Amino acid sequence: MRIALADDAVILREGLSRLLEEAGFDVVGLAADAEALLELVERTLPDVAIVDIRMPPTHTDEGLRAAKVIRERWPTVGLLVLSQHVNTRYALELLSAGTDGIGYLLKERVSDLDELSSSVTRVGQGGSVLDPAVVGELVGRRRQADNPLERLTDREREVLALMAEGRSNGAIAERLFITDHTVEKHVKNILGTLRLPQSPDDHRRVLAVITYLTSQ
Amino acid sequence: MLGFAPQSPPMKAKLSVVAVAGLLAGAGAVWLAAHQPYGRPTEPGPVLELLVGVSLFGCGLASWRARPENRVGLIMVLTGFAWFAAQLIEASAPWLYTTGLAIQSVCVIGLLYMLLSFPSGRLTGRSDRWLLRLGLGTTLGLQLLAMLYGNRSGVGCPSCTNNLLQVVHDNHKARGWLGLRDLFGVVLLLGLIGLLGRRWSRASAPQRRAVLPVLVTGCATLAALIGDIVNDLIGDPLGALPANVWFYAMATVPVAVMFVFLQRRLARGSVAGLVVELGGPSTSADLRSALARALGDPSLQLAYWLPADEAWVDGEGTSVTLPDADSGRSSTFVERDGQRIAAVLHDPVLEHNAELVRSVCAAASLTLENERLQAELRARLVELQASRARLVEATDVERRRIERDLHDGTQQRLVSIAMSLGLLESRLPTQGTAKPLVHETREALALALAELRELTHGINPPLLTEQGLAAALDELCRRAALPTHLELALDRRLPDQIESAAYFVTSEALTNAAKHSHGTEVSVLASCDARSVTVEVADNGIGGATTAGGSGLRGLADRVEALGGHFTVSSPPGRGTTLRAEIPCA
Repeated sequence: MRIALADDAVILREGLSRLLEEAGFDVVGLAADAEALLELVERTLPDVAIVDIRMPPTHTDEGLRAAKVIRERWPTVGLLVLSQHVNTRYALELLSAGTDGIGYLLKERVSDLDELSSSVTRVGQGGSVLDPAVVGELVGRRRQADNPLERLTDREREVLALMAEGRSNGAIAERLFITDHTVEKHVKNILGTLRLPQSPDDHRRVLAVITYLTSQ
Repeated sequence: MLGFAPQSPPMKAKLSVVAVAGLLAGAGAVWLAAHQPYGRPTEPGPVLELLVGVSLFGCGLASWRARPENRVGLIMVLTGFAWFAAQLIEASAPWLYTTGLAIQSVCVIGLLYMLLSFPSGRLTGRSDRWLLRLGLGTTLGLQLLAMLYGNRSGVGCPSCTNNLLQVVHDNHKARGWLGLRDLFGVVLLLGLIGLLGRRWSRASAPQRRAVLPVLVTGCATLAALIGDIVNDLIGDPLGALPANVWFYAMATVPVAVMFVFLQRRLARGSVAGLVVELGGPSTSADLRSALARALGDPSLQLAYWLPADEAWVDGEGTSVTLPDADSGRSSTFVERDGQRIAAVLHDPVLEHNAELVRSVCAAASLTLENERLQAELRARLVELQASRARLVEATDVERRRIERDLHDGTQQRLVSIAMSLGLLESRLPTQGTAKPLVHETREALALALAELRELTHGINPPLLTEQGLAAALDELCRRAALPTHLELALDRRLPDQIESAAYFVTSEALTNAAKHSHGTEVSVLASCDARSVTVEVADNGIGGATTAGGSGLRGLADRVEALGGHFTVSSPPGRGTTLRAEIPCA
């Protein structure tokens, strides 16, 4: 899988690039700001662009805006946005246009090679990735007692969080050391309780779950 | 002390000489009037003639003495001489008679000059000068032209002496030229009335007050003169009456000028009234309006001197700059025991009455000194408030710097270490004891990074800087430990320190609600209008919160008040707690 990478901090750019190559990805180019990234993407058309959210000149949300441009001009390029802060708002803004081939991760998360590898692969294959910290904020939010979310069991809540992170049933089963069948049962229960449509497609499911969580 | 300006010896001598000359001229006029030949026209009569001359001369001398620097007094004296000289028309000697006839109308030009230049004694505009030149040209020129054709017999004096300029004897032409002079005169006088009227409509209140007596008597005189001339032109239907009226009116103008110039003696009454008024309890505004009343200048302002700062402040302690010399405002400085204490900013017209301004300032100096001390205190408070606001701002700037340093420095370095550990972990053989150890280290590092992230978020939430108060409050309420309902009515970004204060008030209030209120839900309201931003955080808990002691609420109150805002806590036992912060943002 071919990767383009943008981060204004040299140590992180180089470190991440080494990790990606270690994991077997083909890093086609590095960029230090949004403009260089757009050039790089146009020239190499990678499978996935990994973008730091905070880059020069204003150090606010340049990466986010660059990601939107890439999605518009080159819709086949997967996007993994990296951030040093948990910013639910940015994450949701990123996912608002659709979850296909989109990811939002905290930088510290990518030091785990397996995690990095599976996230990049998922985004590259059109799946979605949402950082557990963001999901934690969405799921863990205290709500009024009569909210349907408050009626979920602890295990169902765990499954819901993993669904929101963009994981497939198989991945969830592996994570929680339970069978695929049990996961399916949980998923069915959760979707029923929250009155969400039963969809066999993992990708569609993520969007429905996230939309539901943010609307509550 | 009567308030006369101190007289220098040369000035005294000059005035004495002029006075003697005036007396002689007056005596001459009286002698001429007493010895006029039989059959001369006697209206308006020698007594009235003398009255006008004495009025011009006497009042002119008094005004000159009171205001040696002002030319109006001198002009009045000269006009008085001209008036007496015009009486030479009664003389039998031909050369004296001719002189009297020639300068007969010059005293009218003196009147014009007085009215146009009052109260400064200077002609200000081009129209003033043109009016005077035209007046002098027509009255003197046409008079001399008429004299070439005839003498006073031409205007109805068969027994008069011949004038020396006469070349041709043609009474008809002489009357024609004199008629033309009178017509020009009427037009000029009407122009003058118009000019004075326009000047009046544009004058400030103190300016109007200063010129009113002179303007009224002056315009009455001009009107009477016009009446007299018109009466002459249409063949004397009213006889001597209009001439009498104009002479009486003319006699009042010098009195009005003198009255205004000597007004400071009369104004002692207003100074006395001021002293009585200042005896009572007063505030800064009272003092200002009392001085404004005493000086008749509603636009009057006060500035107080702060010797320590070498600066001027107003009554509220706010720094002010004194107007420049050419700004249309004048300043009079007030001293007490040799120390400058205040400045009175007033209409420049009061400079013509400097004596009155000085008396009023002297009378008010004790009160001014008291007000100065209060203004100094208020200035210190203003400065204190400003320094509190600067402290808060410096803290905010420092918070942002620390957050940025942690983000760009420590956090990145630690993330890069975590990446290296990840790389190391993947390269270590699965069987060895090293791999789990590295994994453990990386997990611990991830935990430390999460804590550091929370810490920087607490120091300065990046979202607040990047996206503003509305977005940051939205995020804050999503993360809150209690179910929180947020209502936002913010339509724009506000200054950094105001957004920070509003954010931290909400943040601290939400933390307090979760920790101490025992409530089940919180509502947050944030709104702003043109003048201020308001945040209100209410829970449904047990109440009983207070800002006393070293609680976090005290810190919030300090922060809000440093920005000039209000912070209130309403927390009746059993009925929940409502924190409200209102911060001005205009």
